[in-house]
Amino acid sequence: MICLTFFSFSLTYNLPCFFFLFLPLPSFLLWLIRVSSSEPSIAVSESVTLPVEGDALTLQCNLTSANDVHQESFWMKNGEEIPDTRSPNKNTEYRLHRPRADDAGVYMCVYSFEMAPPGNATIEVKSSPEIVGHKRSENKNEGETAVLYCKSLGYPLPVWTWRKFENGVFREIDNNTERHSISSKDNYTELQITTLDIIADPGEYHCNATNIIGSRDEKSILRVRSLLAPLWPLLGVLFEIIILVIIIVVYEKRKKPEDLQDDDDPAGPVKTNSTNNHKDKNLRQRNTN
Amino acid sequence: MPPAAASKLDYVPPDGGWGWAVVLGAFISIGFSYAFPKSLTVYFKEIQAYFSVSYSQIAWVSSVMLATMYAAGPIASILVNRYGSRPVVMVGGLMVSAGMILASFGTSIVHLYLCVGVIGGLGLALNLQPSLTIVGSYFLVKRPLANGLAMTGSPVVLFTLAPLNQFLFDSFGWRGSFLILGAIVMNCCVAGALMRPVNKNIKPIPKTAPPNGEVSEEKQDETKSEGCLKRFVDVSLFRHRGFLIYLIGNCVMFFGLFAPVVFLAPYARHQGIDEYSSALLLSIFAVVDMFVRPSTGFLGNTKWIRPKIQYFFSFAVLFNGVCHLLCPLAQGHAGLIVYTVFFGIAFGMLCALLFETLMDLIGAQRFSTAVGLVTIIECGPVLLGPPICGALVDSLGDYKYLFYMCGIILVGCGLFFFIMHYYNYKKLEEEKDKSASVETRTPEEEEVELKPSPESPRFDGFLIPNQILNDR
Repeated sequence: MICLTFFSFSLTYNLPCFFFLFLPLPSFLLWLIRVSSSEPSIAVSESVTLPVEGDALTLQCNLTSANDVHQESFWMKNGEEIPDTRSPNKNTEYRLHRPRADDAGVYMCVYSFEMAPPGNATIEVKSSPEIVGHKRSENKNEGETAVLYCKSLGYPLPVWTWRKFENGVFREIDNNTERHSISSKDNYTELQITTLDIIADPGEYHCNATNIIGSRDEKSILRVRSLLAPLWPLLGVLFEIIILVIIIVVYEKRKKPEDLQDDDDPAGPVKTNSTNNHKDKNLRQRNTN
Repeated sequence: MPPAAASKLDYVPPDGGWGWAVVLGAFISIGFSYAFPKSLTVYFKEIQAYFSVSYSQIAWVSSVMLATMYAAGPIASILVNRYGSRPVVMVGGLMVSAGMILASFGTSIVHLYLCVGVIGGLGLALNLQPSLTIVGSYFLVKRPLANGLAMTGSPVVLFTLAPLNQFLFDSFGWRGSFLILGAIVMNCCVAGALMRPVNKNIKPIPKTAPPNGEVSEEKQDETKSEGCLKRFVDVSLFRHRGFLIYLIGNCVMFFGLFAPVVFLAPYARHQGIDEYSSALLLSIFAVVDMFVRPSTGFLGNTKWIRPKIQYFFSFAVLFNGVCHLLCPLAQGHAGLIVYTVFFGIAFGMLCALLFETLMDLIGAQRFSTAVGLVTIIECGPVLLGPPICGALVDSLGDYKYLFYMCGIILVGCGLFFFIMHYYNYKKLEEEKDKSASVETRTPEEEEVELKPSPESPRFDGFLIPNQILNDR
C-alpha cells in the first residue's frame, strides 16, 4: 500500500516499488487499483436558499480530476434530465433566471465517461413553500360534499395542515372526524367534507404548508346554500307576475264597457252610413246594371 | 293611403294605441323565445360535472330546445288560428315555466332533455308564433317599425339574462336557478295578458241588408273552413310565388347565418385574445344589435323603402355575407371589434326584417300558417348549420374557411333574393295593371271576400281588385 502511495507521486525514485509493479499482479487487483484511485472529483457550488439577490442564480460544477476520458456532462433536476444541458465541457454551469419557488429542488450535474460509470454531484436549491393552486371560494348545497384543495411549489416538500378560522381563533381540523378527511401528498393536499351542515361547516378554511425554510398559508371560503334559499325569490317573482296579470285584466275589463260604448257611438252612425252606402252603391249599381 | 289596404283585411288595424302595449308583450315573448336557449349555457359546466356527462351530451339540451321550438311551429299556427294569440302565449309561458321547475328536480340528463328541451321548447314555440302574428294584426302602416321593435326583444333579453344567470348560478346553484328561471319565464304570461285580440268592429253586421248578409255568410264559411282539418296545413301557400322565394332563400341562408355568432368567441380566443375580451365581443354584438333593430324598423317604414322592402332585406343578407368574407382580413383585437360592430349591424338589420318581409309577401291573415310552415322547414338548417361549420373548422384547422363558407352562402342568398324579388315585383305590377283595367268594370266585387291574395305594394290604391285574382 505504501508503494502504491509512492507510485502516485513518483515513478522514478522507488525502484523496489517499480520492480514490484512489473511482477505479474493478478489482473483484478490492477483493475481495483485503477478504480479505487479514479473517483472523479467534482468541485460544486454550494446549496442555496431562495430567494437570492440579483436576477440570476448560477449552479456550477467543475470536473477537477478523473481517470477516464470525459465524454459529456448534463444536468438533472429532481431525478429528471433537464433538456438542452448536454455539453462536452468539464466546467459546466446551469443558470436560473429570476429563480422562484418553482425552481427549487435537487439539482445534479452528471459526468459520463468512456468506460467508467458516470459521476455526479448534488446541489440543493431550497425555498419556502409557495401555494399556487387553491379555490378562493366554494359554494355547495346542504348535504353535498365539498372538496377544498391546495397546491404548492418549493423544496423540501412541505407538511400540510388544515385549520378553520372562526371567532378569531384558528382551530385545527382533525382527520379523525367522520365527515372530514384530509389527504396530503407531496405538493398537493385535499380536505373533503361530506354531508355539509349549514350551521357548522360554512366559514374560512386555511391550508398551511410548512418546511424547514418557512411556511405559507392560504384561505378558502366555504359557503353552504340552504335548500330553501331559492324559494323566496321564486315566491317574489310569482307574486309580481300575478299582480301584473291582475292589473292588466282589470284594466281591460274596466275599459271594455267604455270601449263598447265608444265604438257603438261612432260605429253606429258609421255602420248605418256604411250600410247606407252599401245600399246606395248596390242600388246605384243595380240601377246602372 | 291605408284605407285601400285596410279593406283587404276586414278591419282597420289600429296602428297605434293599444298596439304599442301589444308590441311590448311581443317584445318580451320573442325575447324569451330566442334568448332563453342561448342563455342556459352558463349552467352547462356544473350540470355536466353533476351528471358526469360529456359536453356534447349537455349541449343537446339547448339543441333539443331550439329544435322543438322550430318544429312546433305548425302546432302553434293551428292554435293561434283557432284560439287567437292571447291564450296560446299564456299557455306557452306556463309550459316553459313548468318545464324549468320540473327540470330543477331532475335526476338524470334525460330528465333535462324532456323538461327543458321538449316541454320548454314547445312552450317557447307557443310564445313566438302568436307574438309575431298579433303584431301583424295590430299594425299595417307602421308595421315594419312595430316588427323591428318587437324583434329587439331578443338581444335585450339575452343581454339581461346572461349576467342574471351568472348571478343566480353563483347564489343558488343550478337547481335553484332553474326554479327561479321558471318563475321569471312566467313573465311571458304577463306578455300574453297584454295581447288583447284586435277589435275587428268594422265588420258588417249580418242582421242588416242582404248583400251584407251574403258577404258575412261567405266570410263565415271561410272562417269555418279555415278551422277545418283540411286547412291545417295551407298547401296553397306552396304555390304562392313570394312564399316560395322566401322559403327557399331563408332555408339556404340559415345554414350560414348563426354559425359566425356561435364561433365568434372561439375564433377570438384562437387569435390569442383572452377569454374576457372574447366575451366582450359578444356583448358588443348584442348592444349593436339592440340599437340597429328598431332603427331598421324605422327605416323600413319610410316611404322610400316600404314599397320595396324586399330589396332592403336582400341588401341586409348581402351585407352579412360581405362582412363574413372580409372577416379574415381583420387582425388583432381592434380588427375583431370592427368586424363585430359591422356584423352586429348586418345581423340586426336582417333579423328586424325577417318576419316583416314574410308579412309583406303573405299578408296578415295567412301569416300565422305561413310562419309555422317556415319555421318547421327552417328547423333543419338552423340545427345543422353550426355543427357542419364546426366540423369544417375541425377538419381544415382554420376558422377563416368557416367565414368564407358563410359569406359565400349569404352573398349567394342575397343575390338570389334581389333577382327573385325583382321578378316578383314585376309580376305583381303586371297583375296590378291587369286588375286596374278590371276594376272599372266590377267595383261591386270589392265587398266580396275571396281567398286571401298576396299583398302588393300598398300605396297605389289598387289593392281591392287584386283580391279577385288568384295567385296561381
